[in-house]
Amino acid sequence: MERFRYFLQRTVFSMKQSPLLCSATIGTVAIALMLLSFFTLIVLNVQNLTKQWSRDIQVVVYLDQVPSQTVLEQWLEEIEQYPEVEQVNYISQQQAFERFSERLGQNKDLLDGLMPEVLPAALEVSLTETARSREGTERLISLLKNNKEFHNFRYGQEWLDRYDAFIFLLQLTGTLAGGFLVFATLFIVSNTIKLTIYARRDELEIMGLIGATPMFIKAPFMAEGAFQGIIGAILALGGCHILYYFFLKKGLAALLTTAAAENIHFLPLIVQIAVIATGLLLGFIGSLLPLRKFVRI
Amino acid sequence: MIQLFNVGKVYQNGAPALHDISLKIPDGDFVYITGSSGAGKSTLLRLLYCAEKPSRGQILMGERNTTRLKSRNIALLRRDIGFVFQDFKLLNNRSVFENVALPLQVQGLSKQEISTQVYQMLQYVGLEYKLQRKPLELSGGEQQRVAIARAMVVNPRLLLADEPTGNLDHELAVEIMEMFTRINETGTTVLIATHDKEMLERFPHRTVVLHGGNIVSDDSPDSTDTCEETT
Ligand SMILES: Nc1ncnc2c1ncn2[C@@H]1O[C@H](COP(=O)(O)OP(=O)(O)O)[C@@H](O)[C@H]1O
Ligand SMILES: [Mg+2]
Repeated sequence: MERFRYFLQRTVFSMKQSPLLCSATIGTVAIALMLLSFFTLIVLNVQNLTKQWSRDIQVVVYLDQVPSQTVLEQWLEEIEQYPEVEQVNYISQQQAFERFSERLGQNKDLLDGLMPEVLPAALEVSLTETARSREGTERLISLLKNNKEFHNFRYGQEWLDRYDAFIFLLQLTGTLAGGFLVFATLFIVSNTIKLTIYARRDELEIMGLIGATPMFIKAPFMAEGAFQGIIGAILALGGCHILYYFFLKKGLAALLTTAAAENIHFLPLIVQIAVIATGLLLGFIGSLLPLRKFVRI
Repeated sequence: MIQLFNVGKVYQNGAPALHDISLKIPDGDFVYITGSSGAGKSTLLRLLYCAEKPSRGQILMGERNTTRLKSRNIALLRRDIGFVFQDFKLLNNRSVFENVALPLQVQGLSKQEISTQVYQMLQYVGLEYKLQRKPLELSGGEQQRVAIARAMVVNPRLLLADEPTGNLDHELAVEIMEMFTRINETGTTVLIATHDKEMLERFPHRTVVLHGGNIVSDDSPDSTDTCEETT
């Protein structure tokens, strides 16, 4: 208890003593984490949006002949069992014809005199979320090919390739930029804290001479670093919220439909907690690194 | 009892500081380590409080071999040792009281115990009226007395002092030496590295003379057992 109070006193005292270095650490963490969390915010929202688009990813099986009711039910049952399948719908020739004419809109009279039988009946298979990629689609098609009747497929191959590449690129840039940012911050923070420690190296030496254990010497510095990291992270979340509000909520609302703008969300709670934990770790490790050099008994 | 067996020290940069030191210091002894500048006096003290590890030989403090201690055990060992340095090594941004309280805080004593012990110790060195001052507001002799108070507040069994009078004028030096004598009379082993000839004559005690990293003589003033060693 005495020790805890001692550490607390030392931490507060030390931050009062070098307010400039203290705010430099907090500021660095705040700016870096603000960029990082704003970037995360964008990535999460883009992923969210593409997830909605990707509902359209489906495999269409054209049927050469209209199946009998029993055969059709058998097929539907079979296909629904595949793990990649979310839903399967039968589109009769009549339905296909109606859709087509709907899509033609004003030019619908082109179809005058044609029978619905010109268009093939089809099975529309939509995929589960995890299977919505080129790989998943191919897996599904090879399963479907087990049935000899199914040989005429259509699936947005090009679209899928681009979708896969886009998601991959997004994740790659996110990871690389995030990782780089975290390490750059760690570097800056540990150098700033190094200045604080360097300014107090006499104290560290004396503490060691009078019998303080390395842990006892380091603890106030690490507490200080962690505390500054948390403050920085909270500021970062605040800043990120301001960016989000003015650029995304207000700014994009003017460009997008209200429905689309409503789909833009702030970071979920778990990510906010992760940002604060990152701040804590940055401060903690940022002070641990230089301490290893200076506290040698 | 402190015992050194064939201790040698070569610094990282290759500079040899001590060659082959064997020495026994019984509990309660008062010993000077003397010799010209660069003879290895400070190095010998640094080995005793484990600021350096010997390159060769063994050091026993009581029962404990301190040659290869882990940093935590070094910290514990130092709690039994008081140090006084030529440059005082006080924390200039903390008050006299806080400086003397530091070793007790490190050992986790309660606020109450710390206050009483620190106050008693400051009385002992005659600085109880200046406990709120910062070290730089004090004279050299007073700063050295603060350093002694900090060293003695934990009741150490061994007091090490490296040139404790080097920065002080004659009168203050005598005052400090008298203080060491009193401390020694309470049973604490006192080991002082100094080349202050005047103090050696005025306060005669067992004197170990170093030269070039070797012991060249080890004399006690009031006894006949003298052991001479030559290189
Ligand atoms: N930290 C160090 N690194 C390298 N060499 C040192 C170091 N400290 C002392 N020495 C060398 O060791 C020798 C003994 O030094 P020291 O023990 O300080 O002597 P004294 O205290 O008797 O003047 C000297 O030659 C000195 O240059
Ligand atoms: Mg010296």
